[in-house]
Amino acid sequence: MPESNQLSASFRDPSGFLFTRDGVLLRQINRSYADEYTRLMDSGLYDRLVKAGLLIPHVEADQAPVQAEFVFKVIQPERVPFISYPYEWSFSQLKDAALATLSIQKRALKAGMSLKDASAYNIQFVRGKATLIDTLSFGLYKEGQPWDAYRQFCQHFLVPLALMAHVDVRLSQLLRVYIDGVPLDLASRLLPFRTRLDFGLLTHIHVHAGAQTRYADADVKQTAPRAQMSQNAFLGLLESLEGAVRKLEWKPAGTEWGNYYDITNYSDAAFEHKKQLVGEWTARIEPSVVWDLGANNGVFSRAAAASGAFTVAFDVDPAAVEQNYRQVKAAKEQTLLPLVLDLTNPSPSLGWANRERDSFAQRGPADLVLALAVIHHLAISNNVPLPQLADFFAEAGRRLILEFVPKSDSQVKKLLATRADIFPTYTLDGFEAAFAPRFKILEKVDLRDSERTLYFMEVR
Amino acid sequence: MLFSPPPYLDPGSGSIIIQVLIASLLAIGIALRASWSKIKSLFGKKDQAVDQDDDNADA
Repeated sequence: MPESNQLSASFRDPSGFLFTRDGVLLRQINRSYADEYTRLMDSGLYDRLVKAGLLIPHVEADQAPVQAEFVFKVIQPERVPFISYPYEWSFSQLKDAALATLSIQKRALKAGMSLKDASAYNIQFVRGKATLIDTLSFGLYKEGQPWDAYRQFCQHFLVPLALMAHVDVRLSQLLRVYIDGVPLDLASRLLPFRTRLDFGLLTHIHVHAGAQTRYADADVKQTAPRAQMSQNAFLGLLESLEGAVRKLEWKPAGTEWGNYYDITNYSDAAFEHKKQLVGEWTARIEPSVVWDLGANNGVFSRAAAASGAFTVAFDVDPAAVEQNYRQVKAAKEQTLLPLVLDLTNPSPSLGWANRERDSFAQRGPADLVLALAVIHHLAISNNVPLPQLADFFAEAGRRLILEFVPKSDSQVKKLLATRADIFPTYTLDGFEAAFAPRFKILEKVDLRDSERTLYFMEVR
Repeated sequence: MLFSPPPYLDPGSGSIIIQVLIASLLAIGIALRASWSKIKSLFGKKDQAVDQDDDNADA
């Protein structure tokens, strides 16, 4: 029998788990989840959610289980092209993930079911839309029952969104520290007083935080039998959460590179030449996954995605990623995923035993990496020696399109204006010598009307 | 009975208590809205608030 590997991110739920066999992603559903799975499928809830793009589609697979003593069924879910995490999402991505979760929960209630968790990690962007990927998230709902996942929803969605909207958009990075969502008491202390004047934020964050402290030692079994709420009350709660989420707004303005393309030293000719080369070279190798590192708002990611490749557009600036995501939504683009990532400190592996959330590198390699006008930021601003950059790019992807920005370029001059030039090897020759051990140059073109050079390379 | 079967997350006592309080408060609003739309329908006005969540798919 082929080897099966249980995925380390899905160990918490006794209802089943994910595993891979021969590169195919499968999910074992245990007998303890038989009633729930049957209700999900037979009530029409599954069909409605899949049709709305809110739940990942699956087929029942004729595959041997991993743990035969517990098995009810084995299903094969559609594979997500790139797994991303909430600390890599822009404001609107997290907001859409929150609204999708609430929309799913409302539809579930109508079918006599209720989400037993509301984890942001259960949402992924599939065909440009926030989609629930955990088919085993649905529990049976009985009138009177409150929402077990209420606290989790607040910590994973409402709290970080409120902090991003009312304090600073960079606070999304708290999700990287607190893997089960930002603690309510911390949020309550960080949020400004005006958030107490908003009924939704007052109740779901501030009062909620107070209640947690007050009832921290209370026995759930004592309080629980009295804690009943009607289905109307449940719907009221969901609508209140939805209203609170919808009201939170953040507009990208005034950040460093938000209007990068207006202040660049690029001529239109160089810009168009670069776009044309990226498009041509990408189309030539027909990659299935492209990573654009330093994508800004995704102009060149789109030149790559035009070849049909699924393109992940990473940028450190939340404003650029937000702009990019809004474009994806407006044009209903299905093969582009904008994400926030600091290349000088990319997402680490996180969680229990460091195995729950994959690092940036673990999610690769891509078929093609774009590194357009980023090398000077890494080599000069961040002092990374060129051979180390070659190693990094060689591990990230099998092929590389890299734009070399020389010292004579005004952008590099700006970086060197306030510091000593300790980079004697940062030249075209120095760059080629440093990358030669890891890469073979396929093509090298001087960009028209510019001092920059575009390289098309392949890992040796 | 509240938890049958036992929840797979710990919902937290404070979170359960506060959500039941908030939800009960909001239920009054929902009930009022429902009666109001009934009254309106007596006068031949159609209720547009129903089934809003079906458009959320595009949110």
